Amino acid sequence: MASAQLAKGSTQLRRRSLRKAMPGYAFIAPAFLLYAIFFIYPFIISIYYSFVRWSGAGPKEFIGLANYQRLFSDRLLWQALSHNLVWVVVGTVAPIAIALLLGALMWRGARGMLVFRIIYFLPVVLAEVVVAIIWNWIYHPLFGALNELLAAIGLGSLTRGWLGDPDTALIAVLVTAIWSYFGFAFVIIMAGLQDVNVDLVEAAMIDGANGWQRFVHVVIPELRHVLTMITAFTLIGGFNVFVIIFIMTQGGPGTATQVIGTYTYRKAFQESDIGYGATLSLVMTTISLVASYLFIRLRERSE
Amino acid sequence: MAVAANTSERAEARYAGSSLGFKILQYSVLIFFALVCLVPIFWVVANSLKTTREIALNPLGPPTTFRWENYTEAWTVGRFGRYFANSIIVTIPIVIGSVSLSCLAGYGLARFKVRGSNLIFYIFLLGLMVPFQSIMIPLFYILRDLRLLGTYWAMILPSVAVALPFGIFFMRAFFLRLPDELADAAKIDGASDFAVFWRVMLPLSLPALAAQIVFQFMGAWKEFLIPLLYMQREELRPLVLGLMFFKGRFTQNIPLTMAGATIVMLPIVVVYIIFQRRFIQGMTAGALKG
Repeated sequence: MASAQLAKGSTQLRRRSLRKAMPGYAFIAPAFLLYAIFFIYPFIISIYYSFVRWSGAGPKEFIGLANYQRLFSDRLLWQALSHNLVWVVVGTVAPIAIALLLGALMWRGARGMLVFRIIYFLPVVLAEVVVAIIWNWIYHPLFGALNELLAAIGLGSLTRGWLGDPDTALIAVLVTAIWSYFGFAFVIIMAGLQDVNVDLVEAAMIDGANGWQRFVHVVIPELRHVLTMITAFTLIGGFNVFVIIFIMTQGGPGTATQVIGTYTYRKAFQESDIGYGATLSLVMTTISLVASYLFIRLRERSE
Repeated sequence: MAVAANTSERAEARYAGSSLGFKILQYSVLIFFALVCLVPIFWVVANSLKTTREIALNPLGPPTTFRWENYTEAWTVGRFGRYFANSIIVTIPIVIGSVSLSCLAGYGLARFKVRGSNLIFYIFLLGLMVPFQSIMIPLFYILRDLRLLGTYWAMILPSVAVALPFGIFFMRAFFLRLPDELADAAKIDGASDFAVFWRVMLPLSLPALAAQIVFQFMGAWKEFLIPLLYMQREELRPLVLGLMFFKGRFTQNIPLTMAGATIVMLPIVVVYIIFQRRFIQGMTAGALKG
């Protein structure tokens, strides 16, 4: 009796709270519906595809974990991942180093700071195709600025077709990418510098620390938060990189600039190996999720 | 203003002792990097105004005569007029769709503590961490089965879906900072939930909305992979895709490629320079709170 009443009361309560909640769901529903159809659902299907062999037409053949086993013996995949690793390390260190240098110089105040900030961020807003055209031109074997520059300073022997040479193609595309996003690191570091506790810096100054020491020992530790964040971005971005490489070299010459992003595209859309392509895409997802998780943990610890 | 004066005073104190030597070093480095950013862009614009012959003779200098015909040629023969129209046709619905949906959902998640709202939020957050590659293959077949492949919708719908996680994350954080009392007061006056949102909260969120609009515009205008996969038909191509195929087809015609690149670059650079403060704000706020 009592419990029945209680149950009745609780359904009423639930009904009331549902009515109260309805507007909340109404606000969320349109976005969630679209996101579910065009993001969550395909993501789940990707997982399903990773267990089948399928060429995009005809029946799908269930093959269990075979696609996953194939990952371990796929030398091209490991080569691609090693290129991603180079990309992540250089593509993280270089923009942060440049941004810190510029930040250090500006942090002490500079006339025309706004103009510099606008200019440094300018490459970030350009579409990758435009960036690729710009740098294809710089690397052009006949007219390119890089070869002209090398010839002008007496290093003519080094001139080459930078993107066509397997030894330099990866680093050439990587330099292009760094050019196109170091401004992002710069802007974030500048924002972080605004929050640096000025009192700490002044205290260090009174203790006789010079500008460089103050920057390295007081300011940079205060920036750890911001630096972790940029690293998370470049880490995830470095494993997911696709567009700039696809446009500039298509992963070539040979496999010299193949990364997991271009390799996945190749398997799925050029070789119609849908199941294995999906498996590769899940490798990318796993790396991204692990990196995000590490980032969140690191952030919690730094707080 | 007062704040600015105060920080510049503090700054003054900080720079006390910075010598002329430091200033010279400082500006050489700052200007060097500014040139590294600007000169390559200058080459594109300069070469877009030369003839093929002049490029061979003078690849890096400014043009001696301005060949504006390159632009009319790129626009008509190179079909950049068509591509430009396509970019506008897809960008407008993507921006409207992603901004309005993420504004609504962000508000819903921030203001109503409904059952499962945390779970819903985490599901959206997942979209920030999962790369597009992991949905691109099934999405192809889904769009094909919906008979959307090779229509503008094949770019619009996935682009909105992909833009939602960041948009919702950003708007939710914004609405969480607005005091609940504002909405409660209007609620007591008998306004419906939607009226509260529309008349009270939305006007307050205009700065955040503006940042979102600029940000999503940039994203949609630059988007490459989605149209590459689902909207390759020549007459539907947006600018970036048109430019990519154009550069492949006209490798020998450098001036036209450069004119095309300038056409793609110009609108985004103009929007960026006009709204740069809002844009950088939106981007750093989103990133730092991430």
